[in-house]
Amino acid sequence: MLPAAVSDAQLIARVLVKDDRHAFGELVRRHQSAVRAALRKLTSGNHALADDLAQETFLLAYRNLKSFRQEAKFSTWLYRIAYNAFLADARKRKELPLVEDEDAEDSGIPDDAATPVARTAALSVDLERAMARLSDAERAAIVQCYHNDLSHEEAAFVLGCPVGTVKTHILRAKQKLKAQLGAWAPES
Amino acid sequence: MGMNQTDANLDWIERALKADAGEHAAAYIADDGFTSGVMARLPAPAVLPAWRGPVLAVLWLIAAVAVVVALPDLFYDVFRGLVAIVVAQPLTWSRIAAAVLLLGAATWSATVYAMRAE
Repeated sequence: MLPAAVSDAQLIARVLVKDDRHAFGELVRRHQSAVRAALRKLTSGNHALADDLAQETFLLAYRNLKSFRQEAKFSTWLYRIAYNAFLADARKRKELPLVEDEDAEDSGIPDDAATPVARTAALSVDLERAMARLSDAERAAIVQCYHNDLSHEEAAFVLGCPVGTVKTHILRAKQKLKAQLGAWAPES
Repeated sequence: MGMNQTDANLDWIERALKADAGEHAAAYIADDGFTSGVMARLPAPAVLPAWRGPVLAVLWLIAAVAVVVALPDLFYDVFRGLVAIVVAQPLTWSRIAAAVLLLGAATWSATVYAMRAE
């Protein structure tokens, strides 16, 4: 394994100049967790699909590494490829909305969520369900800006849309989440 | 996300999203063979055929012979001129050794270049 002190840019240069497979392997090792986690969020928790798309993402990254201009961070560029792979797959499958979970239709606070830890866990589960009901674009905007901790500008690069559209998606997504998770709203 | 709001000003859904994102960031997904799976699916490295080196060397030889055959007068003049230069030099063992070394290094470099793998 190559030392962590070697930057992504150096590893990319090794891949480009010498087709150094070890260097590319190190890039995959460094970024696999973040890319797979982002795709798990985008696919609403479908781990198998997310991992398939993550593999596809890294293969596409390898094939197109010459086109990486270092204008964005390597991780941001990977997120963009991952999002495009997710979109292509969704179009191919003509993905239907997830099967509605009848129990979750009116998300309520479970009776056994008395302790703060239990409440947090229950809210996390409900949030996951509510996220699954957002449109692909709204969910993607939330994933990029919150889970991947990107700025609006970086998210716009990843999603291939204007910054204003990203902000609109986030605003709408939060409104929908609020409506779906109304039971969790603190009493004023 | 680069927001200037303090937590106190964030509404509850913002806090929930940030808390969920915090868990997401802290949860490292173990590799568990993922990287080796990707590496196994990479396209095979482009390997140049083994016959490339010898064929290149033979082609260079043919080209050299063709030049000599096509331009015998020029070759003769150049060769004669070189011999004249060499003969005009005072002959010492050190000069002979240096010339042999120089010719050897040039031949070796040309062979290595022609037979290189990439």
